[in-house]
Order: sequence, then C-alpha cells, then structure tokens
Amino acid sequence: MSYQIKINDEISDVKILSREGSIIEIAIDDRKYNVDIIEVEKGVYSILLDNTSFNIELTQNGLKKYDVNTLYNSFDIEIIDAETRYINSRKSGEDEDADFISTPMPGKIVKILVEEGDIVKGGETVVVVSAMKMESEYKVVKDRRIKQVLVKEGDNIDGNQPLILLEDPEE
Amino acid sequence: MIKKILVANRGEIAIRVMRSCREMGIESVAVFSEADRTSMHVRYADEALFIGPSPSAESYLVIDKIIDAAKKSGADAIHPGYGFLSENAEFSDRCKKEGIIFIGPSSHAINTMGDKITARKKMQTASVPVVPGTTKPISDLKEAVETVKEVGLPVMIKASAGGGGKGMRLVEKEEDIVTSVNAAKSEAMASFGNDEVYVEKYINSPHHIEFQVLCDNHGNGIHLFERECSVQRRHQKIVEETPSPIMTDEVREEMGRHAVAAAMAVNYSGAGTIEFIVDDELNYYFLEMNTRLQVEHPITERVVGVDLVKEQIKIANNQVLELKQEDLKQNGHAIEVRIYAEDPDNNFMPNPGIIKHITEPLGLGVRHDGYVYEGYEIPMHYDPMISKLIVWAPQREEAIKRMKRALYAYKITGIKTSIPFLNKIMDVPDFKKGRYNTHFIQDNKEYLDAKVNPSQKVKDVAAITAFVDYLQRLDKNNTANTNCSGTSNWKEFGRKKSISRL
Repeated sequence: MSYQIKINDEISDVKILSREGSIIEIAIDDRKYNVDIIEVEKGVYSILLDNTSFNIELTQNGLKKYDVNTLYNSFDIEIIDAETRYINSRKSGEDEDADFISTPMPGKIVKILVEEGDIVKGGETVVVVSAMKMESEYKVVKDRRIKQVLVKEGDNIDGNQPLILLEDPEE
Repeated sequence: MIKKILVANRGEIAIRVMRSCREMGIESVAVFSEADRTSMHVRYADEALFIGPSPSAESYLVIDKIIDAAKKSGADAIHPGYGFLSENAEFSDRCKKEGIIFIGPSSHAINTMGDKITARKKMQTASVPVVPGTTKPISDLKEAVETVKEVGLPVMIKASAGGGGKGMRLVEKEEDIVTSVNAAKSEAMASFGNDEVYVEKYINSPHHIEFQVLCDNHGNGIHLFERECSVQRRHQKIVEETPSPIMTDEVREEMGRHAVAAAMAVNYSGAGTIEFIVDDELNYYFLEMNTRLQVEHPITERVVGVDLVKEQIKIANNQVLELKQEDLKQNGHAIEVRIYAEDPDNNFMPNPGIIKHITEPLGLGVRHDGYVYEGYEIPMHYDPMISKLIVWAPQREEAIKRMKRALYAYKITGIKTSIPFLNKIMDVPDFKKGRYNTHFIQDNKEYLDAKVNPSQKVKDVAAITAFVDYLQRLDKNNTANTNCSGTSNWKEFGRKKSISRL
C-alpha cells in the first residue's frame, strides 16, 4: 500500500524500504534515511539517526493524525492512505470546517450572541467561551446564516465539539 | 500549638504548604471541589473534605464551607495559600471569631493595604517613598488639572479600589487630562462600584522589584531581600529572579529597611511582600503590599535558606521570630519560571486537557513545585498555572544555563505549555545581560516571536516517527482481528516472547 504524509501543509510520499528489528530504512520523497527507532515510553520515541539522538513525543489526535513535538518545534502530521485520499478527492472544492463553530479546548459557554436564522457578517463574534479564567471570542470567517445553535449559555463543552452550525446565506 | 492545618487552596501551592506541615509533624487537611477529586493535593493530604461544585465561587471561595470543613476535621488553623481567600479580610475575621487560627495577617492589615489611597497615606506617615501624586481622591476636574501639573506629566490616573489594569489611564498631554479623568472614573465605577480616582506620576521603563518580609506578633520584623519580577506578560509575572541584576548593596539595604517599616506601619503579622516600582536610576517607590505568600516565594527560600511556610506557621503559633536581620544573607542566584497550560503559538490560549506523559526535570540545583501527573486532567475552572521550576546556582550566568538545561528535560505531552516560550526568554540578550524592565516582552518581540525553522532532517524525523507509530498500531489491530501469518517483526517478537516465557 502506498502512503503519503502531510507535515503541517506539505505532502510527501513515504515508503519503508526495509526493516530489521528497530532499524528501518525509509524514504521520504527522494530522501533516504537509515534510522534506529524505538518507543521507549508511551508516546515517546528515541531515534538514532547518523548517531544523533532525537527524542520525539507523539500525541494521537484522531485516527491518522498526530501532534508531534521535537525539541524546538511542533508539527501537525497526518498519514494519508488510500482511504483518506479517496475521501479528500470527493470533498475537494468544498469549504472545509466552515460548517460549524467549535473551540480547540474544553471550556464553558459565556455568551451566545446569535439566534437561529440570523445572518452574520465575516469577522463577527458569534460566541464567547471561557477556559481557565480567560475569555475568547469566536468569529465567523465569512458571511453566514446561523443554521442551528447546539449549546446554551453556561454549558460546559469539550474541545472540537460543534457549537453552532452555519450555512451559506444564499442557500 | 497548631496540630492540624486545613489548606484552603488547590494545585501546587496546597501541596507546597502540606510539605512543610509534614516536615513539622503537623497533620494536613485538603478541601476539594467536584473537579478536583483526583487532584494531587487530595492524594497528598492526610485528610480531604469535599466542599462543593467545580466553579471556585461555589467551593474554594465560600467562607462558610471552608469554616465548616475546618470544624468537621478538627483543624486548629487554616492556611489560605495565594489567590482564593488569601487576601479576604472577612475570612481572616471569621476564622478569629470561630476560634480557628488564620495563617496570615489581621483584617486590619488586609484592609489598610487593600485600599490604595489609605495605603499611600499610611506609607507616607511611615516615611516610605511613594510615587509622587495625590493622597486623596480627586474631587473636581479643575483641581485635577492643577494637581496633574504639580506632579508633572506624564501621569497615571488610577482607581482607588483598582487592580489588574482596570480604571487606569495614562495621560501624556495637558489637553487630555479632563477626558482621561472622566474615563477612569466611569471605568472604575463599572468595574469596582467606586469611582474614586487619584493621580500618580508615570514612571517610564519601570522595574518591578519586591521585598519579602516576615513579622511576628511581638513587634519583630525582618526582610529577606528582593525579588526581581519585571518579566511580565499582560501584568502577569512569568520569570522571577533574586538577587535583582540591577540592585546595589546600598539601595538594597535602604529598600529593605523601608519594606520592614511599611509592614510595621500596619502591625503586620506573618509573611508579606512589599512591591516597589523602580526606575533606571534606582529611585524606588512603594507600589502595594501583598498580604500573603507569593507564587514566587521559592527563589527567596533557596537563596536565603529559609522555609517561609514554616516561618508562617511558627508566627501563627505566636512564637518569637528566631531569624535576625544581621544573620541573613543572599547566597548564590535563583530563578523561577512559571509553566502555564497555554499555547504560545496561538496567542497564549488556555489549553486545559489530559496529561498524556510528563517527565519532570531533576538534577543539581533544580526544584519543581507542581501538582500534575500522568493521566491527570487539568480542569478548565481554575488558573492555568501547572507548575513552577526553580533553579539555583552560585552565579547568575550559571543559573540561566541551568534553567535552560532543566527546561530541556521538562516534557509534557497532551497539552500545550509555555515551556518553549520560557526557553526563548533565557536566550534573549537583554535577559542574559540582566538589562530589562517591565517592557521586556514587548521590547523583545522579534526574539520571542521568532520561529526556529526546523531543518528538513528534523521535519523528516518527526514524520518518520508518526509513520512508524501508525504502522505499529495498524499491525496491532490486524493481529487482533486476523489469524493469518504475517511477516511483521513486531508480531514475530511477540510470539518469541510468549514462547520464551513457557
């Protein structure tokens, strides 16, 4: 099976050439590496590459998505297999993630500024969420109509939970 | 003598206090909200009592519930930590009325220092320098213009009941005086229900330097030198150090004396902090007094060699201070950084969540005051600070290197933290030279916002790790679901291992 890998926004081909124990020969596009890679603790890998010692931390963020931390950087990495490619090809052209408002972290709804059916302009705040004594405003990116409000003020919410459904005002 | 202490707090400070209790043979009682059943302070304490729902206004801030828990547990004293009820005069009074020792100052001291105009007046009578300005609230606008001219522009208009930057206005031009006073008044009214404002000279490029004091109930007071707290973001301290790199022996001695005089002026009892605002020429002015233990107290403990919580408890026990000013000295250099659950790449957005993995730094000269552990979920209801990292070394330069070494070894996954940002601060030339003031973060934006561009190799190593982990998981699932003989090394390994066990 052929795989691609998306690092932040760059997509590369990835292929395991050979594997013996923890030693793996791998190619990313046309760059070949011979690495010794072992999971030493849950979510922590030790990698030796040309005798350099790397410690890499992984947090799984969905089935094929990872947050990866190196010493100075963190990366969003997604494994793209045939299934993902198929799904992506079907939804190309559509606007991703603009169908609902959600927050990256858990919190509490402080204020909802819109009602169902409202038309909002791009950049307008629709909901205010507080987490750890700090309030954040969430805005729509472009002109939208509020399709449905799924939460009410005072609700506790999870990260990435849909809060307000949006639709195109033209529809 | 105190035998059992209820700690009316949570997080790292609750554990910090209980550690000293344990060393003194005093039993500790924790209180916890719904969100904190699995919090470390509950596990560390000898006893723990439930006090209500997660929001602090319904648990940690409810005086009746804390008093009730103290009575149920038979605690003879309450330590408030910092934040929550620590600077609440009503709470101090209530403890007294109920016959429970409050490990902190009297309501008189809290009230006097809590109101800025009263505090200013008190300090002036005690000959402690205050920022030039008015000691009474501004009554009419004409008088305001005259006062401002007298003090000299630029000035700050401040709310008497203020705090946290609310009700404050900077005035640089004469024609702006009237509008600024009006704006400050209405903001103060809206925020604090009190529209009293006063005028203070605006200090350009100020340093924030504070002095730790200890006072007993027998008229003795000492100071434990200064802490430099000028590295701040949104009025929040993030790096503190002692000694201050700009301090001289003469000024330190003089400021220390004034700090003790300030505390004595309100008959202070216990541990407190006098905050000063200091300009580049080392002119210093009283800013305010914090009538509690400070977040950054460990750097003083490390350099002076005194356990401040133990001293608080001894003072609450009515003991006479054993420490004498002439015996105290600063030994070496200590730096503290605060680690917050927030995303430095995303405008420092709070980032509560589950700790997947944590490796705390160890080694020579490192202290770590924290409370989180693997699998613990940081609740979204409370302050995002998760720990404090304190290092000590004989010299400042070595202390900075040690801090970098400790931050290098500090790994937390599952949530985003301020660790990378703190690491960058240690590299900023102005910080290394010790030449910084409260504008440090904004003045060094280019250093602090600079992204370390990863090399292709680092990017690829990250990608390889994710890919190998993905294949490994895929493999595990296949092994579980099918019984076909695969060619995977991992399967092979598992099979060999189970055979060798037989």
